[in-house]
Amino acid sequence: MAASGNGGYQHGLVDMATGQVSREIFVNEDIYQEELERVFTRAWLFVGHESQIPKPGDYFVSSMGEESVLLCRDREEAIHVFLNSCRHRGMKVCRYDEGNTPVFTCPYHGWSYAADGQLVGVPYFKEAYHGKLDKSQWGLVEVAQLCNYKGTIWATWDASAPPFLEYLGDFKLYLDLSLDAWDGREGGTEVLGGIQKWLIPCNWKFPAENFSGDSYHNISHRSVDLVGIGPSGTGRRDMQERQMARRVQICFPERGHQTGVYLLPKDQPTPLAYQHSPVVSEYFRHCEEERRRRRGEWGRLTGSPGEIFPNTALHPRQPRTIAVWHPRGAHQTEVWRWYLVDQEAPPEVKDFLRQYYIRYSGPGGLTEQDDMENWNYAHAASRGTIARRYPYSYEQGMGFEVQNFAWDGLQLPGVVMDITEAKSSEHNLRNLYRRWAAFMEAESWDELAAWRRPEPAKRTNGQSDRS
Amino acid sequence: MSGIINLRLLEPGTTISLSDGSTAEVVSNPLDGVWVFARYLSSPNDSSVVGTEEMIFAQNIVEILNTP
Repeated sequence: MAASGNGGYQHGLVDMATGQVSREIFVNEDIYQEELERVFTRAWLFVGHESQIPKPGDYFVSSMGEESVLLCRDREEAIHVFLNSCRHRGMKVCRYDEGNTPVFTCPYHGWSYAADGQLVGVPYFKEAYHGKLDKSQWGLVEVAQLCNYKGTIWATWDASAPPFLEYLGDFKLYLDLSLDAWDGREGGTEVLGGIQKWLIPCNWKFPAENFSGDSYHNISHRSVDLVGIGPSGTGRRDMQERQMARRVQICFPERGHQTGVYLLPKDQPTPLAYQHSPVVSEYFRHCEEERRRRRGEWGRLTGSPGEIFPNTALHPRQPRTIAVWHPRGAHQTEVWRWYLVDQEAPPEVKDFLRQYYIRYSGPGGLTEQDDMENWNYAHAASRGTIARRYPYSYEQGMGFEVQNFAWDGLQLPGVVMDITEAKSSEHNLRNLYRRWAAFMEAESWDELAAWRRPEPAKRTNGQSDRS
Repeated sequence: MSGIINLRLLEPGTTISLSDGSTAEVVSNPLDGVWVFARYLSSPNDSSVVGTEEMIFAQNIVEILNTP
């Protein structure tokens, strides 16, 4: 294990007792190689959205960790995710970004695969193979598990991983803030336009921790707030709805997922937003009204950045987007960003949101540029021989977490840190690294799925058998 | 006999001759330059394939007989 000389992961490089994390986990190339094996082959990863492959034969080339994969829909309209690599000699069977095809043909020797992954074409099958190759054994490698959750497609290579909804646990409530229609109906989102893809010279965990709930870096975005790119012309988003809410950070220690949310007071309607467009403002006003009617007290909840372990980031509102931080070596991340809208929103609303989203996020977005600059130089300044000896501090807010948080009649699942007055906490970031360290040391999902283990029996003196 | 055939130009309905002496009619073309889907019209070696459809490899096509 790459960490063995440093006390291991859970009690050495990631020290949650002191809230310190070694820079080695960001810059060490041996640790990166272990990550590919221990994290990205075992976790559930976001692959794409069903709206990207609406018809049989449609495909979208995506990525899982460093592996290129094909997200496609077969003739029977079933969705698959395959390794984009010919079984014969490994060449990519698809080198385009997206499209429609009846077969994926390897350009090297011509082996061809149907959209259900079966090997259907082998040149000189009768002549060179004498008809003896068992084609059924040489189809494309398919992921072990796939889940279509409200249009989002998730996959894992690990057959022993828990099913996706179990992997999410109660975090599902917060993922739904991104995936449900804004008027409170289930599902009903679609991907808007193309996928933005770009490279940042930093380790993937920099953006992953930022979106887990870095509530401390507002100073970085001050200039963006001053410029006023927000949809009502002030700040970078409509802040009134946040200023009257409790601001909380929520994490799920056994799962490694975390997010921020805003909880409006009971009986407080959501303030008007998107004031730069009467049509859009009215659309969201109507949606908010319907949302409260359908969801009741849960309609008081809006999301802010969050992260599904390991590398899928959510931003449910202003902008509404999902990002994946694809690892491309210890020192590079390839970001893919999807933008979401309500499927049934009017064209004017979708177009307004598209323009707002790209002002905010992506390589041309002002806010994202601030973040990328920080991650770029933070990583570069941490690679040196001297720099990597000094850990990062993640102590902010340690010991102030609350279970069973409730406010104004609504109880939120997860371990909560109320930062309305505190302004910031690194509680969610600690959660990410705690889970990362667990993945790096666990030998199997038996260790990782702690929630499946029965609670230890209590002794008559109140102590458990594990004490 | 034709020179090298550009598979991407073969439209459905084109009849072709194959390296084993068979003839076939193109049914569909995935436009990958490697395969066409064709129905056998004749086969000197195996009459059971006549009427069946198969993926025909580019290098097994020796001549274009007729275009639609």
